Amino acid sequence: MKQALYVMTLTLLFSGTVLADTHYHIEVDGIACPFCLYGIEKKLRKLDGVTEIQSDLEEGRFFIKVADGATLSEDRVREAVKSAGFTLRSFEEIEPENVE
Amino acid sequence: MTRLAHVLVCLVASVALGEAVAAPITFNTALPVGQGKFIVRGQFIASRSGDDPLSIGREFNTNSLVSVVAYGVSAKLALFGVLPYTNKELRVAGGPKRSNSGIGDTTLFGRYTLHQRDWPGRTLRVGGVAGIKAPTGDDDESDGLGRLPAGLQSGTGSWDAFVAGVVSYQRLDFGVDAQLSYRANTQANNFEAGDQIQLDASYQHRLWPGDISSDTRGFLYGVLEFNIIYRDNNKLAGQTDPDSGGTTVFITPGIQYAAKKVILEAAAQLPVVQNLNGSALESDFILRGGFRINF
Repeated sequence: MKQALYVMTLTLLFSGTVLADTHYHIEVDGIACPFCLYGIEKKLRKLDGVTEIQSDLEEGRFFIKVADGATLSEDRVREAVKSAGFTLRSFEEIEPENVE
Repeated sequence: MTRLAHVLVCLVASVALGEAVAAPITFNTALPVGQGKFIVRGQFIASRSGDDPLSIGREFNTNSLVSVVAYGVSAKLALFGVLPYTNKELRVAGGPKRSNSGIGDTTLFGRYTLHQRDWPGRTLRVGGVAGIKAPTGDDDESDGLGRLPAGLQSGTGSWDAFVAGVVSYQRLDFGVDAQLSYRANTQANNFEAGDQIQLDASYQHRLWPGDISSDTRGFLYGVLEFNIIYRDNNKLAGQTDPDSGGTTVFITPGIQYAAKKVILEAAAQLPVVQNLNGSALESDFILRGGFRINF
């Protein structure tokens, strides 16, 4: 019985970690007005797994949420930003517990 | 007919649009069109020319609707197609009015980003532009008085080419663009418009909002542009037309609202210098109003 509870607890913890949404925080150089943001957001939304994007125009920051189990690579994001005509400055994956 | 040529050249020069930020209203920008993206632009242009050195009351007016489609082939290369619909009218005091309407010549061109440097909140782009004007508009139209003069035709009948270099520096609070262009016109129907060199500059200043916040949805810019246009004389049947060509300088105040998907803009080109040859008709003003949609 104890062993079964232990296994169930581990399974729940593990699945909770795996199934939590992953978030990314990127910064982009070259953005100088709202029209720029739209072009970049559109490219980022086309990446597999992206479910939500929030942007900060003044800082050139994007907060990207991806679906359960999906991940983004820096190369893919860099290419998406480049194809919109801009330059990726930074890429960071945010741990679920650090997402506000 | 010098005025008409100026309008046509400005019309063509004004259509290269960038995806990013504020951009000039009367000429090109070096700012990008994203790869695989379309931008559609429409612009209404009204030109009035009634300052007649011959004092015979000539007036030449044009109203144009210009449709533009831009496509980003890559992050650096964008292709543009421009199709105008123009109504033209020539009046002489005490004389008949002659007019014409129709689809004009199609302009196709490409813009390539030669240099790009991005920083947080600002960008510098240098681009090269090259294109042709194809004679898709009618150039043999007549009225009750006979064949219309070249300036009243919807099309020119000629294949013309142009090249330009453009520099754009944009920040969140202001933007600056400059362009130098050369247009080589060819002969058709015994008429050859003079070649043209043009220098343009634009300053866009963000008027609103004063501070950017997460609620900021768009920027309102005040725009001030200068256009220095030099045109060589036209040629009629191989002979230089002494009443054509010269130098015009426009100062162009305008306003522009840039949101995520749409840009709205309006400007008035006011001639401040007109050193035109012979009895060429002088410009009173050119008004522009339009939109750009980001697809």
